[in-house]
Amino acid sequence: MSFSTFVTDKNGLQKLYEAIISKHETFAPVEKFGKYDYKKVSSLEECDPDSPIAMTMSVKPLFFPRSSKIIKYEATSAGTTIHETEQDQLAGPRVILGVKHCDARGLQVLEAVNKWDYIDSDFLKRRSNTVIFSTRCDKADTHCFCTSLDYDVENLDAMDVAIVSGPDGKIYIQARTEKGENFLNQNPAPGSQSPAPSAGEEMKKQYEGFMTSFRLKMDYKDVNEKMAKRFDSTAFEEATRNCVSCNTCAFICPTCHCFKISDEKIKDTGVRYKSYDSCNNVYFTLEAGGHNPRPAKYRRWRQRSMHKFVYYKERFGVNLCVGCGHCAISCPVNISIFEVVNHVAAAPTEV
Amino acid sequence: MEALLVPSLARIDRIIQETPDVRTYRMKFKDDSLMEKFSWQPGQFVEFSLLGSGECTFCISSSVTRKGYFDCSIKRAGIVTADIHSDLEEGDDVGIRGPYGNCFPLEDIKGKNLLFVGGGIGLAPLRSLIQYCIDNRGDYKDFTILYGARTSADLCFKEEIEEWKKNTSIKVVLTIDKPEDTWKENVGVVPKILEEVVKPEIANTKVITCGPPIMIKYTLQSLDRLGFAPKDVITTLEMKMQCGLGKCGRCNIGSTYICKDGPVFTYEQLKALPDEF
Repeated sequence: MSFSTFVTDKNGLQKLYEAIISKHETFAPVEKFGKYDYKKVSSLEECDPDSPIAMTMSVKPLFFPRSSKIIKYEATSAGTTIHETEQDQLAGPRVILGVKHCDARGLQVLEAVNKWDYIDSDFLKRRSNTVIFSTRCDKADTHCFCTSLDYDVENLDAMDVAIVSGPDGKIYIQARTEKGENFLNQNPAPGSQSPAPSAGEEMKKQYEGFMTSFRLKMDYKDVNEKMAKRFDSTAFEEATRNCVSCNTCAFICPTCHCFKISDEKIKDTGVRYKSYDSCNNVYFTLEAGGHNPRPAKYRRWRQRSMHKFVYYKERFGVNLCVGCGHCAISCPVNISIFEVVNHVAAAPTEV
Repeated sequence: MEALLVPSLARIDRIIQETPDVRTYRMKFKDDSLMEKFSWQPGQFVEFSLLGSGECTFCISSSVTRKGYFDCSIKRAGIVTADIHSDLEEGDDVGIRGPYGNCFPLEDIKGKNLLFVGGGIGLAPLRSLIQYCIDNRGDYKDFTILYGARTSADLCFKEEIEEWKKNTSIKVVLTIDKPEDTWKENVGVVPKILEEVVKPEIANTKVITCGPPIMIKYTLQSLDRLGFAPKDVITTLEMKMQCGLGKCGRCNIGSTYICKDGPVFTYEQLKALPDEF
């Protein structure tokens, strides 16, 4: 199925954004102290859908919240009652503007684990009720390597609508899914015309310019293959020695999805939560009897990096990393998943 | 929200003190129609929660062939199990999700000799299969249970073991690690008794084993020496789990989810997993 492309200018795009925000529940990148996070907005002034830099936090929390209530309960001598919690605040329908391509891909990658066998219908519903607008970056940030990881510019369906700012100064608005197509038909960009014959050319030029701005490049297939053979490598320890196990990387990662279930009870009433957890956490695999299969930091890092570049790929056919660089930007000791996996892949196989 | 993780309430009908630190909790769902529909295979587990303390993974230690209830046998080990032991009384409510995981290969073991090798609380998951096989006794040939614990007080399911002993179609071999004055049965660790006393027939035999890691390690070595093929040795793994649904990532070993692809594995399958236990 081919989808429509519309052409407009900066002014037309602003008007489209304004119309969307006025009509729909809308989220967009909001700046605070130089950091960007996706927040609910009520006017275009509050946000910057075309924010120039990599996001600090991924869009993940809008689909998989940092902490969500599973149940509320009352346990008294008279018996126990379980109440399902209040309505899902993230169920939409809603629009998210300015989602970075890497973030949108992250949701696509997460879909695999959420829909195999037991289906997490909450996650899938949040995604299917959301229209994702993604503004294609013009320039890579220091830690970006998204184009090295399954970035298929011809067949992007991670976002519903792609916005590309062409080298000719025009803005191209391209539907990438049926949902996006329908949405653009119902919410047309003011002044938009049917695309000039050169639209494809201009968008390609933009992409080529973007491609040349990357500092980091990798051949992920080579990394997949080499890492799979280096389970026993000492390189995991070398590359992650400085890690302080703060778990920030996992919390802000668009694809990390490990969680824990915990109870909080005061007197007779309690709440059970599902919240983020990380395999870098020393308690993650600690068993009640005291045994811990991953007591050392390098073993936990081995799990984290192998999960991203070997195990998930084996299981679901896709890397559990989208090359966004969020982890490297926020790491207090400058560890980058890019460097870790490349270091391991380059290490000798003999231990 | 989070519909997959919402438990149903079950009521504890009976608590059986098995050993000083193991209790069997016999329960049924408060909703009768739920209890009628509730079906599981030997080897599957549930997420059992003491509301307020937390949720834990326990195998169902009884068989679906014993209608109207299900058992979890719980050893006091960590924070939640300590709360379960000290706070939970008969008539109290608990939260249950499940059943989850795969099960013992019921088709594979049909028509075979069965050798159960259990240690300590490791008899709990085996008990579900043992009961199931006793209730379908005609489907199997020789039936041997080797069970050991550190001391005679640490043997679980004592009443039931007495019944098994009375069943002439089952051979029961018991052992404890060190001699005790009143103890008339074997003395010695499980792998030693396996090789020296049980001396199992290899041909057409399936071994189903579960116990503490150290026992499993040496039992697998003994079975190897005796000549059992790894595909004929079946065990059930214990890993820290939380969701039981193949989502939370806790029980990942390589690309395997122990909670979904397991917890039951043959020794052959275990050998293919990264060495991370």
